[in-house]
Order: sequence, then C-alpha cells, then structure tokens
Amino acid sequence: MSEFLFELRDLGVAIPTAQGLARPVTQMSFGLAAGRSLGVVGESGSGKTVAMLASCGLLPHARVTGKVLFDGQDLLAQSPAARRALLGRHIGMVFQEPMTALNPVMRIDKQIAEPLVTHELLSPAAALRRAVELLDRVGIVDPQRRAHCLPHELSGGMRQRVGIAMAIACEPRLLIADEPTTALDMTVQAQILHLLADLRREFGMALVLISHDLGIIGQVTDEVAVMYAGRLVEYCPTASLFSDPQHPYTISLLGSLPKPGRHGERLFAIEGTVPSPLLELPGCRFGARCQVAGDVCQRTVPALRAQSTEHLAACHHAPLEKLLAQEVAA
Amino acid sequence: MLQFVRGLDFAGRVALVIVVLVLLCILAAPWIAPKDPLSIDLGLRLASPSAENWLGNDEQGRDILSRVIYGTRSTMLATLAALVIGGAGGLLLGLLAAYYARIEVVIMRLMDVMLSFPAILICLAVVAFTGPGFFGLVLALSISSVPIVARFARSAAATVMTQDYVRAARAAGLPDRTILWRYVLRNALPGILVMLTLRMGSLILIATALGFLGLGVPPPFAELGAMASQSRQFLFMSAHVPLIPSLAILAIVLCVNLLGDALRDFIDPRLEG
Repeated sequence: MSEFLFELRDLGVAIPTAQGLARPVTQMSFGLAAGRSLGVVGESGSGKTVAMLASCGLLPHARVTGKVLFDGQDLLAQSPAARRALLGRHIGMVFQEPMTALNPVMRIDKQIAEPLVTHELLSPAAALRRAVELLDRVGIVDPQRRAHCLPHELSGGMRQRVGIAMAIACEPRLLIADEPTTALDMTVQAQILHLLADLRREFGMALVLISHDLGIIGQVTDEVAVMYAGRLVEYCPTASLFSDPQHPYTISLLGSLPKPGRHGERLFAIEGTVPSPLLELPGCRFGARCQVAGDVCQRTVPALRAQSTEHLAACHHAPLEKLLAQEVAA
Repeated sequence: MLQFVRGLDFAGRVALVIVVLVLLCILAAPWIAPKDPLSIDLGLRLASPSAENWLGNDEQGRDILSRVIYGTRSTMLATLAALVIGGAGGLLLGLLAAYYARIEVVIMRLMDVMLSFPAILICLAVVAFTGPGFFGLVLALSISSVPIVARFARSAAATVMTQDYVRAARAAGLPDRTILWRYVLRNALPGILVMLTLRMGSLILIATALGFLGLGVPPPFAELGAMASQSRQFLFMSAHVPLIPSLAILAIVLCVNLLGDALRDFIDPRLEG
C-alpha cells in the first residue's frame, strides 16, 4: 500500500492520428496523498486534460502506458466494469464547459440522481431527494424549484454548480476538476473556487485542479505540477513555486502574470509556440523557447530531478541563480 | 404543435390537410367509405363518375372512391408498420454500432452490402420468400429500411457520442445501458424521427410498386398500386379508372414529403439543404 491515494507512474499517452502517432503526454509521474490538493498548470495543448482523462480510461482511442494507482489499484489494468465502479463513486470529475457537460434533454435533478442510483443503490425517489439537498449544498438558490429545470434554463455558473453536485454526489475521495472556472466570468470563478475548497474540507476529498491560470492554482492547492508539451517540468509545494521557481518555463509563466500596482506595462509573453505532440525531439521540449538553453538542452531530455527535498524540476540548468530568475521575469 | 402548423406555408397546409385525410382513411375507412369496396356490379363496369358513385366504377363495377379509401388504408398501414419495425431495427443496430467500436465493422459492412442492392430488389427477394400478402409486404419494406435507418442512426449517435455530456456520464461511472438510452438515444432521436418521416415517401412508392407487380395485398382487397395495375389496360377507354389510384399515390407521397421537409425545418433548421 503506497502512501498516496492517487499516483501516476510514467504515464504515457499515444493517440494514432492521420499524421502519425501523437504523444500528448510522456513520462508523467506524481503522487497525491488523501485529502491533499494538486494543481496541474500548463498552457493550452500541454497535455493536462489528456493526462487526466487517459488516467481514468476516458480516452477510448488512446494507447495509455504506465500505471495509474488509485488506493493501490492500477486503474489501467482493471476491467472496464471495475473501473466504472470507481468512477463517479470514489473519483468525481468536473468538466470545463458547463454549457456542454450536462445532458440537454434531462432534468438536472435526474442527472445528479443517476450516479446515486448506480453506485449507492438508492431508490430513484430517494436519489431525487438527495439531488435537491446537493443542489442546495452547491449553492443553488431555491433548489426545490430549480431541480425540475433543464440545463438550458440555467446560467453558466449554475450549470457548473450542477456539474459539481453531480461529481460529488457519492462523496468521492478524489475530485478531478478540469478547468472548472475557465468558461465563467471572474466573480463566478471566485465563487466556484470557494465552493470547491469548502467541499474539499467538508468531505476530506483530494483534489486535482487543472488550470492554465497560475493565479487560481495559487489560491487553492497545496502542490503544483507544471506541464509543458506533455511533460512534467516542475513539481513542488505551491508556496515554493511562487517564491523559488526552478524551471525557466515556470519562471517565464510567472513573469507573464499581471501584477498589482504595475498598470500600463506590457505583460511578458513567451516567444514561439508549444512544439507539436507529433514531433519527437531529442532534447528538452522547451529548448527552442528557453532563454538559458545551451548545447546540452538540444541533445538530451532533462530528467525530473530533486532540487530540494520537496521541489522537483526537469532542467539541465537547475538550480538557476536568483539573479537569472529575476532577469528573465523582468 | 400549433406553432408547427402556424409556420407552414400554403403548400405545407394543403399537404397537412391531405395527410389528415389519409389518417382518416386509415382510422375510419369502414365509416367514411360510401360503398362496400368489394361488392361487384357488372352493370356499372367502367362507369364514369356520377352522383351515385362520385369517382365512377372500375372494371368490375366496384365503387372507386371506396376502393381508394380502403386502398389508401392498406398501403399506409403496411408503410407505417414497416416504418416502425424497420425503424426500430435500424435504430438499434445503428446505436450499437456507434457505441461499441468492436461490432461496428460487422454491422456497418453488413448494412453496406444491403445498401448496394436497390431497395425494390431486396423487397422482391423477401416477397419471393414469404409469398405475396400483407405480412410479406410489411416484412419486405421493414428489411429494406433497416440499413438506411441504421446508417443514419449511427452517424447521428456518433455525433452525440463526442459531446461532453456523454464523457461526463462515463466519468460518473454510469452503465452503458443508461448512457446509450438516456444520453445518446434521447439526443439523437429528433434527427432520426425527421429522417424517418422523409423516408416514408419512398416506402410508400416501394409499397405501391410491389402492389403494382402483384406482390402486395392479394386481390380482391383494395391496394392503390394493385388498383392501378389491374385497370391499366383501360387507360385509353376509361382513363379515370387507372388514373385515380395513381393520382392518389402521387398526392400522398408528395404531401408526406412536403410535410416531412416542413417538420425537418421546424425541428432542426441546420439540416436544411
């Protein structure tokens, strides 16, 4: 039995496409203890979502390698039926687009009740009553009446609350939230993040929060995993990421955050784009955009190494001097 | 429903009236038919329309109006039954093919084989096997509909399958049965229903063609295709006898198609074209 509730070991995802084999995720490993929260950050196309979906067996056409351990069981080695018994019961998922993540022709209380009937074996009537309680818990005003609504009758924020209610219906031990606030406006974002934090405390859930927004990660999670082009480039406690970033990519990302009191300045942008997952590069995938890259970066892939006890980074040049960090960030 | 009727153009409204009349024929033929469609009166052979027999009499002196009403009923009953049976069969196969990648190849290649034969040929083969009659007619029409519905249902279901809510349902660990019926089918169904109403016109044509070839409902029972076929030799003497059932077929198919088009535009304007 490992110390972790949810652990990825060398997760690799390969998807056959018309242009060849795409590898959106390579050699991704991390461990999350029960009740802890992890933020996964990276820009669009860095493989965050694919990694999470693949680890739960939700990408039917992908070839997934490595191990995904949940409570000591390998999700990838399990039969579909055994995996289905875990999903929704012990692992809940919240999706990015509240507009499309709910069945448009089904009343919302019925959608929330569905996993309760499947996993908790509640009677349909009892499940519907519980659905109304859950709607109340996720902050839907007048849940009794709203329960009979169809998804298109609700606003985006309310739909996301319904999605959360569905994900936590069976009080899962792990909640995976895939950009739960990206499609919402700022004030609703904050409410949803508070709700997730509250629910996590209440149920003692572990949380994996996927986001491209370091600001959100900083507010909510204990640990951070930074992904770039399908690889984990930095993994550390959240506070340590902001105070002492080790990977040039993370440093550039932090440099591109808007800061209070510095109006009117142009935000820092990283030159270039993420390499295609179809390309196999011999060296560091960030090499072409990196300001400190040298010869070694073009030749060999940097391994994820411990810089201190809790701080891992995948860079040949880590640890970078503070001075250099400031230079890049400025 | 009211909204749908209000949105119809003039042709659509005429079509609606005629389709309602056809429904009336199906439901109430014995009460609205003025005469017995089977009673022979050789004294009135090929008689022209009169006050007594509004549409005249056929080659055996039977009342044409009554025979058209009963003929419409048998043609439409066979078509509707085939639409339900063939539609259900095709729907099931299409959904399963969309949901289970493993059996998709088997099902869809089988459907492709059937599609490579003209529908009328499949029907002829089935009727040759069962013998002419109402049962054979329904079976033939059903079987010829299955591949067309299956192909459409598969693509409609495959589109729904890519939606986030299907992924969310999987992530919630719901059983395949639930996802298939409550998520995939219920979202794919409107498009499939519209497709079925559009399919109805061609089914009527095949049904009457089989009747014309003498493979539908056996005589003396009235069937539109058979009526046109039996009286076609009198086309130049008493044109109304073969023309009236033919025009009835034309009108029904045209109106069903017009209404199907209107229904498609009403339910999903994106499908237009």
